[in-house]
Amino acid sequence: MADIVELEAADLTEDTQKGKFLTFCMGSEFYGIEIKYVTEIIGLQPITEIPEMPEYIKGIINLRGKIIPVMDVRLRFRKPYREYNDRTCIVVIEIREVSIGLIVDSVSEVISIPDEEIVAPPNVAKDGNKYIKGIGKVGNDVKLLLDSDKLLNETDLETINDL
Amino acid sequence: MSSQYINEPMLDLFIFESTQLIEQMELLVISNEKSSSYDSDAINEIFRIMHTIKGSSAMMLYNNISGLAHSMEDLFFVLREDKPQDVNYSELSDLVLEGIDFIKLEIAKIRNGDEADGEPSELNKRLKVFHSKIKGQNINVTIGNEVNSQERSTLENQQYYISKVKTNLTASKNIFEATIHFEPDCGMENLRAFSVVNDLQELVEEYYHIPQDLDNEDSASVICEQGFTLLLKTPYSFDEIHKVLVQTFSLKNLQLTQVENSELFNDLQNESHFLLGDSPLKIPAVLGREDLFTNQGEKESLLAAAQQIIISVSVAKLDQLMDLVGEMVIAEAMVTQNPDLKGLELNNFDKAARQLRKITSELQDIVMSVRMVPLAGTFQKMNRTVRDMCKKLNKEVRLQLLGQETEVDKNIIEHISDPLMHLIRNSIDHGIEMPSEREAKGKFRIGTITLEAKNAGGDVLIIIRDDGQGFNKDRILAKAREKGLIQETEDQIKDKEIYNLIFLPGFSTNETVTEFSGRGVGMDVVVKNIEAVGGAITADSVPGKGTTITLKIPLTLAIIDGMNIKVGDSFYTIPTTAIKESFRPKSTDLIVDPDNNEMMMVRGQCFPILRLHRIYQVRTDVTELTEGIIIMVEHDDKTLCIFADELIGQQQVVVKALPDYIRNMKKVRGLAGCTLLGDGSISLILDIEGLMI
Amino acid sequence: MKKLLIVDDAAFMRLSIRNMLQKYDVEIIGEAENGAVGLAMYKELRPDVVTMDITMPEMSGIEALKAIKAFDPQAKVIMVSAMGQEGMVKESIINGAKTFIVKPFKEEFLYQTICKVLGI
Repeated sequence: MADIVELEAADLTEDTQKGKFLTFCMGSEFYGIEIKYVTEIIGLQPITEIPEMPEYIKGIINLRGKIIPVMDVRLRFRKPYREYNDRTCIVVIEIREVSIGLIVDSVSEVISIPDEEIVAPPNVAKDGNKYIKGIGKVGNDVKLLLDSDKLLNETDLETINDL
Repeated sequence: MSSQYINEPMLDLFIFESTQLIEQMELLVISNEKSSSYDSDAINEIFRIMHTIKGSSAMMLYNNISGLAHSMEDLFFVLREDKPQDVNYSELSDLVLEGIDFIKLEIAKIRNGDEADGEPSELNKRLKVFHSKIKGQNINVTIGNEVNSQERSTLENQQYYISKVKTNLTASKNIFEATIHFEPDCGMENLRAFSVVNDLQELVEEYYHIPQDLDNEDSASVICEQGFTLLLKTPYSFDEIHKVLVQTFSLKNLQLTQVENSELFNDLQNESHFLLGDSPLKIPAVLGREDLFTNQGEKESLLAAAQQIIISVSVAKLDQLMDLVGEMVIAEAMVTQNPDLKGLELNNFDKAARQLRKITSELQDIVMSVRMVPLAGTFQKMNRTVRDMCKKLNKEVRLQLLGQETEVDKNIIEHISDPLMHLIRNSIDHGIEMPSEREAKGKFRIGTITLEAKNAGGDVLIIIRDDGQGFNKDRILAKAREKGLIQETEDQIKDKEIYNLIFLPGFSTNETVTEFSGRGVGMDVVVKNIEAVGGAITADSVPGKGTTITLKIPLTLAIIDGMNIKVGDSFYTIPTTAIKESFRPKSTDLIVDPDNNEMMMVRGQCFPILRLHRIYQVRTDVTELTEGIIIMVEHDDKTLCIFADELIGQQQVVVKALPDYIRNMKKVRGLAGCTLLGDGSISLILDIEGLMI
Repeated sequence: MKKLLIVDDAAFMRLSIRNMLQKYDVEIIGEAENGAVGLAMYKELRPDVVTMDITMPEMSGIEALKAIKAFDPQAKVIMVSAMGQEGMVKESIINGAKTFIVKPFKEEFLYQTICKVLGI
């Protein structure tokens, strides 16, 4: 079990959550996800596979009696699959009452990125960038900011039809 | 609420208890109405319920409820005490049910935090008229007077009430006059005065009081205004009498004076001669305490009965509890199956771990079962629907309830109550014929509606069956065509498909609306409600014989008995009801046809084999049929042999829906949902019907 | 502390009485839901005072009052009545109830009545 990071998201008001991102890494890239969507971060859990699902839906997990689906973000972005290890984390996000776990290589930290440091992504839709809604600059680093809503709700017709 | 002591839990308790009592009373009324008289137990029970509600609602200052309950209590008091003949029980039931509805509505308002502002005075009036009617029968005097007229006339003649005189008059020396004022609002002042008199019994030889008649409730207001005046003759001294009187409860003011002149006394005595020694009170013989309990055992059982308490718990808390238990189960597995323990020889630890596992799994079972509620309550509410409908439409219908003990998750119950009511109204309105028509058709005069619940193949089926005229196929077809719901010609469409057209949105129209079953909404609302819990609804009908509507409540939320099986690292659960048998196959029983379809020969019959690992693409080492296990399942006369690695065991499981995200992505063939196993891992519940397609 | 036994079939009334007496020096040592249980608890717990509902299943308040009085002639029983029960209130006075209160009642009144019954 990896360390379990308890986020006290509930204590943060909308205001203090604004501009805050949870960052995680996948390969050499850093991604950010708005903290207001994140409910908790858990270590890797046993995943029950569901047949006939797209490859990036790894299955479902039991989160304290609540069954939630988990998505491998790597596969969602069509990056090569990587064996899970003890750094692998599941970031549980909730958008409009839908909970889902995102499997990421590892989480790093919560950072603030002011609006003026965020630029629109270049228009290259091919390699999965359509789930990036902005690029945040933090010092010399660049964080790809996820469009969580799209990630969850945009049905990837291509993949489903493949089944 | 004016009093600060009325707090939240009290309001909750008031609502909870009153609702239960009212529902209990409704059942009593409906079941007794059928036998066209009320048995004495029911009368007692209803009397007691109304009395309790009267008191509780008065405490909560809901005076409208309290007043109405009082009127109904009075009514049942007369029924209980006077046992009047020729009571119009049908009218009585109507009135009482109306009262029940009123109280229900008020309680609903209170529950919603609204003002309980219903006005029952009109109903009260009708209750009083009915009260006088049944009261009148017994005493043969003019009706319309609430107080028993006979009693009153006796009381009016009764000038003074004088107790039995115990000692010789001449022995008494002292005559006192006492005037007592009670605290305002202490209630029943006449009886408080009676209490004073009662306390003095032992001390006085003779007494008179004003007002004279302490049984009459009107005296209470007289005492309030003018006080209670006593004239008494006693051998005791001023101080001794004063000492007794000053202990009077709710005493505000006492004036006690010694009267020298005994003339007044003599006058009074002459006038009231006829009453001496004649107590108007009927007091039942005092029961010895030996009679109360015949033996010690009985007493203990009574005590035990009282200690079995039922409490209400919010469903949210139960959900929370269930989640926590789920978390505990995982934690248990994390401890007992901790990788750090690998390879260690830990006898005592294992023993303790087994005990822990046993307890957690029992705990999980209990928590799961707590949420389940039998359908009985919902079913019995339908009695009222049937009754009201029959009354309005002049039809005669008997409601038969089967399988009431079938348990369903509380959340589901809330969703099916309205649809059921609607379907039953429909049956009575459109299905069951008028009694004369039924007789003409050679049917029983009284129609029957059967409401049945059963567990079937992991589903809960709720079946509403009537023996009415059945659906009119042609009319349904015509209408569906008119609405553009079908294109096929009549011979292209099966009867059953035609009947199920009624569930299509937009099928019901105002044309079929009657006061009851219509209400401007149609079957589509019923369908929507059932679908909201993931259920399905089907109809079948035989012209002239009746209609059957079946609600299939899915596994979701329900608890089922399941057989857990394993394929590779995956777990699956098969509803036990679908399983015929399971066995390790012998290679001699296996058949492969030219198309490579595998089949199993069982007692001379051939059944197809379905390899779970193959259809769900699960990696497993067990691919030889003879190494695994065959589970024979059955649905609607079809049989299938499911092949899995091994059986894990049988267990009650709570069915959970797959997450919406998954369901929206794709409906996976053969999966009904999922459940949590004892170790916190997830098992997928198989939908046998789905696997057979 | 004054020891009180509440006998009432309505859980709501038992809670009401309990709540009302919260701030006073009255200890509720028992709650019984009918007369028979009330009697058994009286014998076991020997309260200083009893509040007794009149209409109850199993054994009515009056029957229980009689039985308690037969067991302990000194028993101090306050009948809890409601409008319309005049006859039964009278019967209970005759059978030895110390006094009675009429629903709805206020907490001060309840407490004063208890004190008075106990001769305080």
